[in-house]
Amino acid sequence: MEFTVSKGDLVRELNLSQGVVEKKTTIPILSNILIETGEDQIILTATDLELGIRCSCPARIVRKGAGTVPAKRLLDYVRLLPDADVNVKFQENHWASLVCGRSRTRIAGMSRESFPELPAIPAPVASFPASTLAGMIGRTIFAISNEESRFTLNGALLVLRPATMVMVSTDGHRLAMVETLSEIPGVKTMERALLPRKAMGEILKLVADSGENDQIEFSSDDNHLFFRFGERLLISRKLTGNFPDYERVLPKEQPQRIRVANAELRAGIERVSQFADERSRAVKVQVGPGELKIYSSLSDTGESEESMPLEYDGPTVEIGFNAQYMLDFLRAASEESVDFLFKDGESAGELRPAGDGTGFNNRYVVMPMRI
Amino acid sequence: MRAIFHIDMDAFFVSVEELFDPSLKGLPVVVGGAPNQRGVVTAASYAARKFGVHSAMPLRTAYKLCPQAIFVEGHPQRYRQYSRKVFDVLSSFTPQVEMASIDEAYLDLTGTQRLHGHPMDAAHALHERVGRETGLRCSIGISTSKLVAKVASDQAKPNGILWVRPSMEAAFLAPLDVRKIPGIGKVTEKHLHALGIRKVGDLARLDAAFLERRFGQWGLAMSGQALGLDAGSWFDSEIGGASDPKSISHEHTFDQDTADFTALEATIAYLAEKVARRLREHFLYSRTIHIKLRYSDFSTFTRARTLDHGTQLDAEILDAARLLFQKNWTGAPIRLLGVYAGSLESAEGQLNLLDNSKTERWRKAMSAVDRMRDRFGESSVSLATGLQGKYRERVHENPEGLPGKEPRKS
Repeated sequence: MEFTVSKGDLVRELNLSQGVVEKKTTIPILSNILIETGEDQIILTATDLELGIRCSCPARIVRKGAGTVPAKRLLDYVRLLPDADVNVKFQENHWASLVCGRSRTRIAGMSRESFPELPAIPAPVASFPASTLAGMIGRTIFAISNEESRFTLNGALLVLRPATMVMVSTDGHRLAMVETLSEIPGVKTMERALLPRKAMGEILKLVADSGENDQIEFSSDDNHLFFRFGERLLISRKLTGNFPDYERVLPKEQPQRIRVANAELRAGIERVSQFADERSRAVKVQVGPGELKIYSSLSDTGESEESMPLEYDGPTVEIGFNAQYMLDFLRAASEESVDFLFKDGESAGELRPAGDGTGFNNRYVVMPMRI
Repeated sequence: MRAIFHIDMDAFFVSVEELFDPSLKGLPVVVGGAPNQRGVVTAASYAARKFGVHSAMPLRTAYKLCPQAIFVEGHPQRYRQYSRKVFDVLSSFTPQVEMASIDEAYLDLTGTQRLHGHPMDAAHALHERVGRETGLRCSIGISTSKLVAKVASDQAKPNGILWVRPSMEAAFLAPLDVRKIPGIGKVTEKHLHALGIRKVGDLARLDAAFLERRFGQWGLAMSGQALGLDAGSWFDSEIGGASDPKSISHEHTFDQDTADFTALEATIAYLAEKVARRLREHFLYSRTIHIKLRYSDFSTFTRARTLDHGTQLDAEILDAARLLFQKNWTGAPIRLLGVYAGSLESAEGQLNLLDNSKTERWRKAMSAVDRMRDRFGESSVSLATGLQGKYRERVHENPEGLPGKEPRKS
């Protein structure tokens, strides 16, 4: 196999595959990237068996073929080359020789035969704007559990219905739910799948590198989810297991509701949390007539309090929360105001972006702390 | 000037046994079990100690050293009863009493000169009253710090009183071996010997910063202790002040090493249950569960798991301990199993969103179980898994609920 490709194109596409390539070298071939020739392009494939990515870049094909080389080494080297064309030629012993201007390098590779086959992509079931999917991921990814033993919570639930698309994540202490308000074209039946966190992170990277109005074509088979961004394809294995019944967890009604400015609330919690217990990150929120207070209990480090005026004339309620949980939502929400809905110090509180125009129905439920 | 008394009962377990069987008096007595049993010596009489028998030594070794000794089973209930009697005598002198273990206590008699007279007079009165009301002998150390008082009572043994005059603390400690400082064990002693430090005086001459570089926080504490100051976590609390335990643990040594999975799991359940019960007694929640595995060859492993929330529920502690056990057990026969709860917090902290009603039901069930146990005894209710894991209570120097160390009231 031999081809010539521009350095800039190659670096851009190789960058996208770095997050997928296996870092631990238990199976050496998974550290490699598969390079195949196509029609006036080369196709780059990387996988860690959980996640696979396929992208391409324009190339002048001299001789057809395929080969694999270590993905990180290839990128680290090509990045250092001058902006010019790179000629790549694979040899009988699976080594790749690279020539760019006066630079010559041979990289030790491995046979393409040992590279795992990616599953074939089924017909698309839906198509939606890339920005919609990215927005949904941004509003849920932070609430995914880090507890490895709770593997069904190590990703988000994706529900596709003809009328809406829903994404839900939870770590057992809080739950983030986001739903599109507009119809998703193409969806005939309900699709339900668990999307691993790593795949969500890679989708965000791919969206960041694509255009404003790009569409994503979505499809699935029994074990995989496929996201196609134009010429780029991300394949993720589905997480198996039962995701908790999130609809049961969402509070049916909350007796109290206040509206606050996002930036103000966020800054207040950020300041007070400097003096929260380092391990529990606990702060107290006190809602009383005309005033919202956020404060930390006295500890070795000191204490801190914030107060902001409020339109509220209900009973005074005090609730303990993990400051990090509150900040996660407030940082992800792009809206100017948020609504805080609550009942008492023992029941789940809820944050929602206030006002219209977000394009999402977004609910974030947080269990309080007993302090 | 502070006046701290350390009262240490002389050969406590043996002396209590002698009260119940006066024929034992003066003989080599070993408390802990029969000489052919597994397990260790809980206590030895002075006559037995002459043969080199000491506590924590395997019973079989004790038998080899002193075959003529009389081996008796321990009676935890008796020791608790007499410990309580001692406590009652001590508290009649001052409310500032802290039982440091079942057979030793600290008293703070600061500012009681007008009531009790000179510290030596007070000590003699105490010594006489303890003897008269319990029939037991004790040794008393008096100083301005808990640390020096403890070392002094040890130097006064048996049946003696030693008062270290204020400002003489460092001079009193200086000629003693470093091992005499509580907390300096075999390992630290070896490190100190390697540095040419043998006596407390050698330690006192060293730069605090040097010791800190060498031994960390503990080095800093040692340099203060060498001068007779209460430094380090064991000594920096006030006597009589409520203190929360840093961890709660239970362990069990099997009569015969076992590799029977069901038996081991049952033991873990039983231990987890006891740990959970004590957490609730202390109104504490644990975020880190540890297990300890000791195999036949005495190789010992501890493994820990941090939970995402604090717990005091049997089922959650058992789940964590069982998971650790399944992950780490090699399948070889086990000699000892332990379950520990660390990272203790006084509040439950983060509540659960998904299993909240389940947790709530467990909590209610456990509080009912605790009430039943209070009325009908510890073994009246238990987890089914733990039923096969029940064992006779062993003698323990630090049982729960010591007077002066009682569970904090919420």
